[in-house]
Amino acid sequence: MDDWKASPLAKPFGARKKRSWYLTWKYKLTNQRALRRFCQTGAVLFLLVTVIVNIKLILDTRRAISEANEDLEPEQDYDEALGRLEPPRRRGGGPRRVLDVEVYSSRSKVYVAVDGTTVLEDEAREQGRGIHVIVLNQATGHVMAKRVFDTYSPHEDEAMVLFLNMVAPGRVLICTVKDEGSFHLKDTAKALLRSLGSQAGPALGWRDTWAFVGRKGGPVLGEKHSKSPALSSWGDPVLLKTDVPLSSAEEAECHWADTELNRRRRRFCSKVEGYGSVCSCKDPTPIEFSPDPLPDNKVLNVPVAVIAGNRPNYLYRMLRSLLSAQGVSPQMITVFIDGYYEEPMDVVALFGLRGIQHTPISIKNARVSQHYKASLTATFNLFPEAKFAVVLEEDLDIAVDFFSFLSQSIHLLEEDDSLYCISAWNDQGYEHTAEDPALLYRVETMPGLGWVLRRSLYKEELEPKWPTPEKLWDWDMWMRMPEQRRGRECIIPDVSRSYHFGIVGLNMNGYFHEAYFKKHKFNTVPGVQLRNVDSLKKDAYEVEVHRLLSEAEVLDHSKNPCEDSFLPDTEGHTYVAFIRMEKDDDFTTWTQLAKCLRIWDLDVRGNHRGLWRLFRKKNHFLVVGVPASPYSVKKPPSITPIFLEPPPKEEGAPGAAEQT
Amino acid sequence: MNRINKNVILALLTLTSSAFLLFQLYYYKHYLSAKNGAGLSKSKGSRIGFDSIQWRAVKKFIMLTSSQNVPVFLIDPLILELINKNLEQLKNTSHGSTSECNFFCVPRDFTAFALQYHLWKNEEGWFRIAENMGFQCLKIESKDPRLDGIDSLSGTEIPLHYICKLATHAIHVVVFHERSGNYLWHGHLRLKGHMDRKFVPFRKLQFGRYPGAFDRPELQQVTVDGLEVLIPKDPMHFLEEIPHSRFIECRYKEARAFFQQYLDDSTVEAVTFRKSAKELLQLAAKTLKQLGVRFWLSSGTCLGWYRQCSIIPYSKDVDLGIFIQDYRSNIISAFQDAGLPLKHKFGKVEDSLELSFQGKDDVKLDIFFFYEETDHMWNGGTQAKTGKKFKYLFPRFTLCWTEFVDMKVHVPCETIEYIEANYGKTWQIPVKTWDWKRSPPNVQPNGVWPVSEWDEVIQLY
Repeated sequence: MDDWKASPLAKPFGARKKRSWYLTWKYKLTNQRALRRFCQTGAVLFLLVTVIVNIKLILDTRRAISEANEDLEPEQDYDEALGRLEPPRRRGGGPRRVLDVEVYSSRSKVYVAVDGTTVLEDEAREQGRGIHVIVLNQATGHVMAKRVFDTYSPHEDEAMVLFLNMVAPGRVLICTVKDEGSFHLKDTAKALLRSLGSQAGPALGWRDTWAFVGRKGGPVLGEKHSKSPALSSWGDPVLLKTDVPLSSAEEAECHWADTELNRRRRRFCSKVEGYGSVCSCKDPTPIEFSPDPLPDNKVLNVPVAVIAGNRPNYLYRMLRSLLSAQGVSPQMITVFIDGYYEEPMDVVALFGLRGIQHTPISIKNARVSQHYKASLTATFNLFPEAKFAVVLEEDLDIAVDFFSFLSQSIHLLEEDDSLYCISAWNDQGYEHTAEDPALLYRVETMPGLGWVLRRSLYKEELEPKWPTPEKLWDWDMWMRMPEQRRGRECIIPDVSRSYHFGIVGLNMNGYFHEAYFKKHKFNTVPGVQLRNVDSLKKDAYEVEVHRLLSEAEVLDHSKNPCEDSFLPDTEGHTYVAFIRMEKDDDFTTWTQLAKCLRIWDLDVRGNHRGLWRLFRKKNHFLVVGVPASPYSVKKPPSITPIFLEPPPKEEGAPGAAEQT
Repeated sequence: MNRINKNVILALLTLTSSAFLLFQLYYYKHYLSAKNGAGLSKSKGSRIGFDSIQWRAVKKFIMLTSSQNVPVFLIDPLILELINKNLEQLKNTSHGSTSECNFFCVPRDFTAFALQYHLWKNEEGWFRIAENMGFQCLKIESKDPRLDGIDSLSGTEIPLHYICKLATHAIHVVVFHERSGNYLWHGHLRLKGHMDRKFVPFRKLQFGRYPGAFDRPELQQVTVDGLEVLIPKDPMHFLEEIPHSRFIECRYKEARAFFQQYLDDSTVEAVTFRKSAKELLQLAAKTLKQLGVRFWLSSGTCLGWYRQCSIIPYSKDVDLGIFIQDYRSNIISAFQDAGLPLKHKFGKVEDSLELSFQGKDDVKLDIFFFYEETDHMWNGGTQAKTGKKFKYLFPRFTLCWTEFVDMKVHVPCETIEYIEANYGKTWQIPVKTWDWKRSPPNVQPNGVWPVSEWDEVIQLY
């Protein structure tokens, strides 16, 4: 614009040929110098005004914007401080395209280091025997899975085959042996190792050391092996150092359609391994289930708290079954993770659920107990209008009609003060002792394993006196104590709506699981209509029990109750047996009976005023403790109650009676 | 040749620049009016037609929320006020018959909606659809205050605010979260480092300067300017709540530190006292709410909230404050009807009024009435034996909401000044023996009641 300021000072124009009307006009004007000058000055002034208005507008806008920012400035500091806490994503320099990997295998120690960072180190005695497997993301070098398979013991090689088959092609696999890894390494596993390109793996011998790095379905990147010289000694320690070239991010990912669900899936699959077909490129298993909605769902707005630890594979299985149950509302689910574990959080995010982490407090049972307390408090805080909460654990399968079962029964908890909880689990509901999915019981014991808690019970009674961290109590044992339960009962189904599949856990091991949980009956029928739910109320239930006892056929008490022939080979009958029970807490005969019936015998479960109800050979089987039970009046005078002698004292089994 | 060209170009430029100037003048005028908000031109609204950017933005937003089942209701103070004035008329006009745009076309920068988070079923994907519709959206998240009170829980963040901009108009979605105590809470709008500070003129937002608490409103559907929106059933009540909605969170972190130092009392007596005190407080709150009387936590109860986020187990009573201008003559009878008999009454409405009611399990409810002076506030005390009067001085304060034992209650916003006036700088140290006549640093002797008045001003039951 400055150029144009100079223009009015230019010399007056000379006359020109009249070529057009415009020029004629122009010519006329040029003849009137004064007028021309005036016009030119006017134009320049006008332009100047334009410039000024422009500048003012710019200034004004600026000021308004800076005003808008001013009062937001102070808050900024706080957040920036927070931002700084985040670790730098990448150490100085550009992205590295090669990882250097060190793998060590020996009798007493294994370790794996990636780019100088130790990702596995195990030198504990008497632990971690077998083949350690680590999976790295081929694009980022992140550890995606870490497993150890004790292939010295039987069947562990099968688990290893299963796991290795699930790993996506292209991932970096690292294997190293600690102590002994060949004794039960069978041909299938060896064949798999061969297919990975390993030379030494398939030929792995007794007490050999072995370190292996390779790409799944691709080249071997390094392998070292040392044979054991004699039966009584181990191979020399081996240290394998190798470079692993990283591939591009696109190569490492599948090409799923760009949807919200697949974004979650992609995030999950780039971080962890070992979840099977959920990360399959071609045909991934769905992560959204949309089960049928439940008509007239009374538990749609009941929050669901899933109590979890660091067993992400369990959590994955559990959430799949939970989200497939009819009538589930995912936004009501909160997963509480005890500890800052990443992988369970990844599983939660995969399903688009809410996850909350809990800094562990105290140890062992008390830690679980504190985690329960925090989780329950948080659940009722997050859903301040909820009158109930469903409490689940990460090692449960949830029946397809779990919510239907609760929807049909939850009004009992509202209407009957003598109830403590509704539970989906029948302690005595084994394959051979449970039959009728439409049948409910009242029991004096609190089974847990998928149950409904009333807000008022928690807030007014349990929360204020919950065991403090220094008390190493089991929360469930504490809840079963008479001071807490105060004579109230729980509603349970005959056929459980949850299934306890956890084998590893605080109070759990393979043997215990096999003996007490594996054969539990689990309902798989959708939409079961519960029968006569209102007869479960306090007084109505007594009427119902009396009716049952009146029509029950009394069994032949001269026979051995442990024999199969104790019950006739009929179907659909109701039978009753009377056992000796001197006082309310005399369970001598019951425990023996439970033992020979192969049901829960570690403590007393499932009783209601000295009455147990179960099924035998498709007949309803009632057991009444005489004379402690008020139902003893139904005993014909001629019958002598059965008495079973406890075996001579030799063990202290009840110590293991916990179930978590 | 050159000269002619110069001239022609000069003329051409003059023409374009005048056109340009005209455009700028128009824009500038528009900008000014938008900046000053609707306050300038309420009547102007009717003249601007349905093509205004405000109306279009709101329409698009409502289309979005109804198709995605986003549970929102209108809380914009400006528009609610207009609606409130014309509520009858709005209800009478049939759908679609509106010829003029009277509400949503009012010039302004923002339209505020509340989102009821607990009713929101599919949060995912909403954002993307909004962006596909032409909105530019900003999401402000933070940690969940409902987990703060619990030891060591860390959850995923919850959304607090969404700001969705369509051209020059922005929709401010304030996320309302349910809290224990049957109220709705919204968070503080705090920009994080990476956010665009110029995204919208943030300082003009009506919500988010502080966290806020609101009674859970009942909603009604109305058709405003041809758009179906939900608004609070009682817009007036909601509008009255806005200026006093500021919420302060209990200092959970400090409370935890306190309990680490002094250990919580979890004896049976402490548990029982806390339970009775909580019930008494709930009963008192309910009774006063029915009367429409504002109250706040005072003295020991306020200290318990501020210092340890719970009731001090050895305090033996519940203390409330009420402004004397909120005094109703039926307070005593209302408490008596609620099962709380009057224990004593000191002073009179004009001077040093104090009421004390007997709750269950020997827990007492003390109500102190506060008198306002130009530079301070005070409440009175009376010694029953001697008729001596005392005065407790406090710096002036305003009231804020907070959550205490699962209730939404008032506390002085300037809590620390209030507590230090009452308990001194050493309020952090628990003191079990407290003499209300001598211990407080803010107590002043205030003469003696004339004996002739004793019957009125010292009533013991």
